[in-house]
Amino acid sequence: METFFGSALDYDYVGAWAYITNGKHLGWYASVRWTLGAAILGAGFALFFGLAGAMMKRSRNMLIEAIGSGYVVMVRGVPDVLFLISFPLAFEVGIETLLAYTQCTLEERAGVLWPPCVGAQWALSDIEYFLMASVSLGLVYGAFCANVIYGALCAVPHGQIESAIAYGMTPRQILYRVHLPQMWVYALPGLSNVWLLLLKATSLLSLLQIADIVQWAERLGAPNYFSFAGLVHGDWRWRYYLVLFVFYILMTMVSEWGFSKLTRRVSRGMATQGGGDAG
Amino acid sequence: MGELCRLQQEHMTEQPTILLLEGICKRFGALEVLRGIDFTAKKGEVVAMIGSSGSGKSTLLRCVNLLETPTEGRLVFKGEEIAFHQTAQGQQPSNPEQLRRLRSNLSMVFQQFNLWQHMTIIENVMEVPIIVQGRGRDEVRAEALELLDKVGISDKAKNFPAQLSGGQQQRAAIARALAVCPEAMLFDEPTSALDPELEQEVMKVIRDLAEEGRTMLLVTHDMGLARDVANKVVFLNQGLIEEQGTPAEVFDNPRSTRLQQFLRASAA
Ligand SMILES: Nc1ncnc2c1ncn2[C@@H]1O[C@H](COP(=O)(O)OP(=O)(O)O)[C@@H](O)[C@H]1O
Ligand SMILES: [Mg+2]
Repeated sequence: METFFGSALDYDYVGAWAYITNGKHLGWYASVRWTLGAAILGAGFALFFGLAGAMMKRSRNMLIEAIGSGYVVMVRGVPDVLFLISFPLAFEVGIETLLAYTQCTLEERAGVLWPPCVGAQWALSDIEYFLMASVSLGLVYGAFCANVIYGALCAVPHGQIESAIAYGMTPRQILYRVHLPQMWVYALPGLSNVWLLLLKATSLLSLLQIADIVQWAERLGAPNYFSFAGLVHGDWRWRYYLVLFVFYILMTMVSEWGFSKLTRRVSRGMATQGGGDAG
Repeated sequence: MGELCRLQQEHMTEQPTILLLEGICKRFGALEVLRGIDFTAKKGEVVAMIGSSGSGKSTLLRCVNLLETPTEGRLVFKGEEIAFHQTAQGQQPSNPEQLRRLRSNLSMVFQQFNLWQHMTIIENVMEVPIIVQGRGRDEVRAEALELLDKVGISDKAKNFPAQLSGGQQQRAAIARALAVCPEAMLFDEPTSALDPELEQEVMKVIRDLAEEGRTMLLVTHDMGLARDVANKVVFLNQGLIEEQGTPAEVFDNPRSTRLQQFLRASAA
């Protein structure tokens, strides 16, 4: 195995292929589903929270406006790592506290507040941690999206809205027929930044005990010693991390390509640089 | 519909009043832009509004479809009084349903066209009949094509506004305005953003509409157009109607010195 830098002819290709396709490695490759899943689901949530936050920020109702602005200001200020590890915990504790009221007897509840009785304990499964991670990512990056979308809504020329008002559209019709469709062209550059930040933040999933690509890489790369086989390899983590670098760069390139397609799509007809030559 | 909501060319002496404005005032903060406007437009009438820049012409037009809410005054549309109520921010329209009815019956043509950029020309024309008036798509499409043909841009139906010249965009905007079968059309300097050659093609469309007997309020800086198409010319000065009458009265026999000055300046 230590022939990594040996001459190409001497190199044990068959052994190397067997090594990188063994069960553990296949598990590693499969763990990409957590990373990509969290990215896509998290982006969905982020877009949802972003749209909701932006609408709230624009509300005439001062309370709603304050909630929207508060969300954007506060959540943008919290480090994503902190949010990612604290939100699922807080959620878990909150649910357990609620469960305790229905599941535990009065005596059980009387003395100790924590831990709750067995009936109210909630051990999160992988999939539940994964969902919470996605929601956390959505909440954090939703605040950035809200700001981007808010700016984009403001950037739509007033004449576009005004002619919709002048022709008797309802506020809801104006929003869905004119304001939101025209907003995307201004929002996409900002949203693509947020998406890349979110994509990179998926490397933090292992903090939530999710066996994602980072955790697998760490395990596989660690010095590997078997009593029957001796040392299989030394500290190879850097090689595995290199693969992760390449993975994230590839993902970035795919994203750039996707966003340029999207930009072309939403800027059809729009008198911007992107849409000037739209056909 | 098919009939293109064509207007019957009645030759009755007395046409019903479409719009009645009484004592309309509009303030922006301390700035008094309109200071008591009384004014009527009858069915089939073409009213041209002239006046120097800043005299309040646009504001008056925008008060008619309530893009601006008048600070004071009455607005009656086809015998129906528009309801207002007082709020902390001043007078506000109190009946959204009535407001939408008023607006979808008064179609506006803007100086900057304001076609919806993300829709093709035909989509722009079909939008309001389908979305606001709830009419059937096929019927509306057929009519929209007819209207685009009428304003001479049927070959641009599938293009986006940004791909058209200013004159073509404004003609598309006029087709959009016609598609709602409006009781009256409001034009706010429809040719001011256009080059002189492009101005002509839009003016021709407006002349045709006037000949058809459309009810129109037309704010314009083009005295030739006003003289040609208008039944009535209104001269606005500092938020008041200084003089009004037939084109002959206003252009050939201006009484006030203000109007005389204004006409001299416009001719120059
Ligand atoms: N939304 C607004 N806020 C404040 N002032 C305005 C607003 N709209 C118009 N005005 C002012 O009202 C006056 C009349 O404007 P306008 O009706 O556009 O004049 P015109 O169309 O005759 O040139 C101008 O002095 C203008 O600055
Ligand atoms: Mg004006």
